[in-house]
Parts: sequence; C-alpha cells; structure tokens
Amino acid sequence: MGLLDTEGGKRRLLCVEIPAIERYNEGRDPDFKVQVVRGGSALTLRYRLKPCHNVYQLETRLHSGYPTVPPETRVITPLRHCPHLLEGQTLCLWRQGSTRDASRWDPAKFTCIFAIQAAWRWLACYEIWHETGEWPLPEAK
Amino acid sequence: MPTIFQVGAGSGGMVVLDLLCREPSIRRIVLVEPDVYKSHNVHRHYFGHNDVGQRKADLAVRWLRQFRPDLEVTTLAVDLMDRERQPQIETAVAGCDLGVCAVDVEPAKYHFDALMRKHQKPWTLGEVLSGGIGGWVHVFRPGEACYGCVASHLQRTISTDNSPSPDYANPGAAVAETTVPASKAAVATIAGLHTTVTLGLLAGTDPGFTSWLLPLAKVDGVFAEALRPFRFRIPRSPECLICGAQPGPAGEDLDVALDQALARLGHE
Repeated sequence: MGLLDTEGGKRRLLCVEIPAIERYNEGRDPDFKVQVVRGGSALTLRYRLKPCHNVYQLETRLHSGYPTVPPETRVITPLRHCPHLLEGQTLCLWRQGSTRDASRWDPAKFTCIFAIQAAWRWLACYEIWHETGEWPLPEAK
Repeated sequence: MPTIFQVGAGSGGMVVLDLLCREPSIRRIVLVEPDVYKSHNVHRHYFGHNDVGQRKADLAVRWLRQFRPDLEVTTLAVDLMDRERQPQIETAVAGCDLGVCAVDVEPAKYHFDALMRKHQKPWTLGEVLSGGIGGWVHVFRPGEACYGCVASHLQRTISTDNSPSPDYANPGAAVAETTVPASKAAVATIAGLHTTVTLGLLAGTDPGFTSWLLPLAKVDGVFAEALRPFRFRIPRSPECLICGAQPGPAGEDLDVALDQALARLGHE
C-alpha cells in the first residue's frame, strides 16, 4: 500500500529508489538508461540490457505495495519459451507471493536497481540456456 | 486499563484473543478482522458449521462475551491495508498499549510494523511454520529492530523451510506453492506462547529476545530435534531501508520534490 500516496512510500521513492536510479544512470550510454513512467498508483521502469550478445527491452513494475510487494519484471523483446519464464514474459526472480523464508526479495536491503541486476543475471542465464539447453544456476532449479 | 490492538482472528489469532481475554487485567480490545468464516475454517477454529457465513469479528465477540461480559470490544471488519480506513485504524492504534499481529501475509506484517513504529507502540507477532513443524514468536519495541530488520536477518541466517521449489521449469505456467496446513495442536502451541510473551511484555518484562523459534518436530535438513527452542536478539540495522532514517522534505515539499525527480527520470 502507498508507494505514491503515503508519506512513507513517497519518502522511500525520493530518498532511496530515485537516488539509486540516478546513480545507475550516471555516465551510462543514453540507450541503456532507466526511464521512469508513472501510471496510476504504480511506477514502471523502462530500460535495455545487454548481458551478452543481444539487447533486450525490459520493464520493471513497482506496484502500489512496493517494496513489501516485490517488483515484477518482464521482457518486452520476444523470447523463446524457457524455464523460469512466467506468463506475459514475466521473469521468475523471487518466488512472488511466497513466505519470508522462501522469498529471495528483501525490502529492507534491496532497491529497484537490484531487480534490474537480477534481470541482467536472468538474461545471461537465458542466453546460456539458448546455446546449451541447460539453465546454469542450480539454486534456481 | 491495558488496551490491545489485535489484527487477525484466524485459527491462531483466535487462540491468542481467547487467552489474552482470560486475563482480567485486559480491559479493552480492538480487533481488526475482515474475513468471513468459511467451511474450511471449521476443523481448526472455535466455531461450528452453523456459523459458516458470519463475520469472524462478530463470532469472536460472541465468544468473548461468554466469559468476559465486562470486556470492551471494538471490531473493525476491514482490511488492515485498506487505504480508505487508515484514519480509523490509526486512531485505534494511537489509543492502544500494545499490538498483537496474527496475520500471515508479509505486506500486512510490514504495514502493521509501520503503524506501530509511527505511534511508538510495542507489539508481538506469532508465526506458525508450514506443516506445523514449529513456529516463531517475535517482540518489537519502539526504537529497536523493526520487522524489516528481523525478517532480513532471519532470511539470511536461518532456514525453516526445506519444501521443494515450485515447478518453474514448466514454461509459461506459474505453479502455485503448496503450503501444508499446520495441525490445530501446532497452531495452539505457538499461539499460547505468543500470548504468554505478550502478557509478559504488558507486565513490563524484558523477554530477552526479539525472535524465539520453537521446533515442534524433527525435520531433516531443518530441525535436528523437536522442542529445543532458539532465541535470537536481533539488533536494529542501521542500513535497514524500512526503519532507517531517510531525511528529506515533508508534506507539500515532498510532493514537489518527487514530481520533479520523476519528471527528470521520465526524460532520461
């Protein structure tokens, strides 16, 4: 509740998330900078990543309940069906909706930039899987 | 005249509520519980099939009235996180002495924590592990570790779940995780301990921990033995993004600064 409509949510954005995005963008090629789009009670980060050979267009959505509700990242660039890819090309990154013990998302430590880094890692795995047929991170199996 | 602000009257919350209200020193309860009693609740709850369809908050009041007609009970049959009801909820929190959290949804725990920190109230939380293999009781006090500090610490240091991951290898299909229901005995055991710790806190006793874990079963790879408790004193984390200081503008100045920052990033 309240990313854009509570004092706590707005403060988190202004003092934690936005500075992190600005640090990420600093000195980066303009094509690879993060753009932020406001839509209703959510924010969408639009950006490109090039983990290895290919460039991918992505969106990370910070829902109204962010950061206690994990961010959701989807790849806009068409992908082949592969492991750890959910409906709508949403990346399976944190076991959304799971218990504290099982979830990999930590709202006390992570910012939205961590979600972008996690997406980069996921795409690097995807490219390896594309070549070898094996998902290279055993802990994700 | 101690006043308790409790959220949740499910299978665990109802036990806590019942045990707390057996204490004559508890004079007033504010209960937040939006749910309706369903047939699948019956085998682990206080009420029968005839009560299916009624609001859990109303059933809880009826139960308490049997042995505490003097108890002042206020029910809020609303979602704790309902934006429209926050003024009402905040007024209730401001008037309480201690909070009791008996919900199992992570965002609701964080929201409860934020409410309690804002109004400088101590609170307790009980959690039963999947399958009833054990449970946690946590204590939070103003100025000390918040739920974010505790959850982050525990997420990194201790595993209480060895259940297999969902089948993520099935492309295009998010397979729901299976949460194994706990037995009524496991739920009641943890809820009883949750109540004991809550009453101690109300009496001004330092429990000596922030988090207390009781395994109820020996589970390979998780608990080497049953009934040997573990105590954790988790400090407040200076880097915590939930309770850490985030100095900056307030009120209208905050809105203006945020609008400017978002406009800037919208054109990157």
